[in-house]
Amino acid sequence: MSNISQRDAFWTRIYEIAKEQRNLVVISADMGAPALDNFRRDLPSQFINAGIAEQNALLIAAGLCMTGKKVFVYAIAPFLVLRCLEQTRVLNAIMNNPITLVGVGAGFGYEDSGPTHHITEDIAIMRAMPRIEICSITDSVMATAFADISYNMKTTNYVRLDRLLFPDIYHSDSNFSEGVSVIKESNDIYIAATGSMVHTALEIALQLEKKKINVGVIDVYKIPINTDTFIKKIRKAKKLISLEEHFLPGGLGSTICEILNDHNILIPVKRLGIPVEKHYCYKYGGREVIRGYYGIDKRSIEKEIINFVSN
Amino acid sequence: MNKLIPMLKKKSYEIRKSMLEMCIKAGTGHVTSSLSCIDILVALYYGNILNHVPQNPTCEKRDRFILSKGQASPALYAILADAGYYKKSELDKFAQKGGIFGVHLQNDVPGVEITSGSLGLGLGIAAGIALGAKMDRDLYLVFALLGDGECYEGSIWETAMFASHNRLNNLIAIIDRNYLCVTDFTENLIALEPLEDKWKSFGWDTQRIDGHSFESLLSALSNLRSRRSSKPLVIIADTTKGEGVEHVSNNPLWHGLAPKGKDAEYARQCLNRRYANE
Repeated sequence: MSNISQRDAFWTRIYEIAKEQRNLVVISADMGAPALDNFRRDLPSQFINAGIAEQNALLIAAGLCMTGKKVFVYAIAPFLVLRCLEQTRVLNAIMNNPITLVGVGAGFGYEDSGPTHHITEDIAIMRAMPRIEICSITDSVMATAFADISYNMKTTNYVRLDRLLFPDIYHSDSNFSEGVSVIKESNDIYIAATGSMVHTALEIALQLEKKKINVGVIDVYKIPINTDTFIKKIRKAKKLISLEEHFLPGGLGSTICEILNDHNILIPVKRLGIPVEKHYCYKYGGREVIRGYYGIDKRSIEKEIINFVSN
Repeated sequence: MNKLIPMLKKKSYEIRKSMLEMCIKAGTGHVTSSLSCIDILVALYYGNILNHVPQNPTCEKRDRFILSKGQASPALYAILADAGYYKKSELDKFAQKGGIFGVHLQNDVPGVEITSGSLGLGLGIAAGIALGAKMDRDLYLVFALLGDGECYEGSIWETAMFASHNRLNNLIAIIDRNYLCVTDFTENLIALEPLEDKWKSFGWDTQRIDGHSFESLLSALSNLRSRRSSKPLVIIADTTKGEGVEHVSNNPLWHGLAPKGKDAEYARQCLNRRYANE
């Protein structure tokens, strides 16, 4: 288990960059983090608390961006994506102000806070607009790397951070330019997952290995997906499983099916994610309980994969 | 009387005319919304208020003018053409194939800062620019022209709180208070009054003026650079939607339309008559 959350890893690195790059400004919609406490103390002129007002936070960010600042707007993910969606569309997708949106709490990250605090539509929504890159962060190493990548971006990106702690998969010399990486090799079957589900996929793949079923894992951490790279990575695959803690319409599975269809790659795909038919839910007792309700807990996923592989 | 006023009245007539003609030719455009704020724009652009450089639209020292009520784009486009930001012939292609601009404001037109059409965004962007200017110790001013109907948007009030808290005294909002929205008068819809009290209570300096009197406009807008207040300033300019063209003015049915046929001819006559009488 990593001893640092994605959030703290990201903001710690941003703090370091901001000490050198005085045009870096953080706007928080009244969200904190230990690393941001240092930021606020040491770099007060580069830190703005906009209050619980995400629409204005985006507007101020755009104005600052127009005066040459690199702005990071920070809020709980559902509010950052949804409350100010039209601001994002006009200021970022249309006007092309390169702002970094940092949302914490991907998927069911705010486990017991209920559906208002879960974000299970953000990939579908953000990928429907041009000029916005979704960075679905997998571990704290990647979070640190994306602080630098975000600072240097010329278009808007949405950094989707998980709230909970996960083991680190990547190393400090990992390269994140491709947006897709093979975490575990396989001869013919792969799970393509994003965010917290990459860890789940890996655990399940290791479980299946014991049952002599060889399944690979691909981490898709940039959406829109780099099509050429993705096709290269899955060239050996005879079957593909997509896995996401996100509603199925418009999510990772959708985008993968679109790519395969558009490139005439006719392999069976099993999409695993949240079925909209099961609506939003009020389930408590942790992430695995919520996932269980939707049939995407470890046990259910493993069962689905075994069925899919053997048929 | 301020010596500039006869020239401003002439400009106001000319800009009204070219705005009207471009909309008649295109068969579209928010004519009445443009007519209500043309005098404010003329005062800003020709009354020695706004520092701007038509030959260098992105000059760093320029004052920033944010047209938040983007449906009044024909008024601004007519002024920018007259000021030399682009050829006047562009106005003939307004909202037509091959044209560089359409019904709502777009930020890639020389002299235009933002894309607008979706309301409630311009004031916040202006506040962000004003904050950026403070961080960089730049001395330019940031102006935002808002519609009164736009003040129903919650984001306006989020920004209003933010701007006064952050002492953005380099930010000047002007509200085109024409009392009309799309379908009805504001005070019938949801009353905006007492509007000045609302802004005051949000921590702004306020002024209320006649938005069609150049005397009032110049007196409110002059000397802003030596203003001694830590607060942002809002100027509520009372106006008439459709000012200068009698049969379309103060009439909700004319929102978002350009006059056609006999109405167009009558509109031209109204403007000519009005200028001849001044």
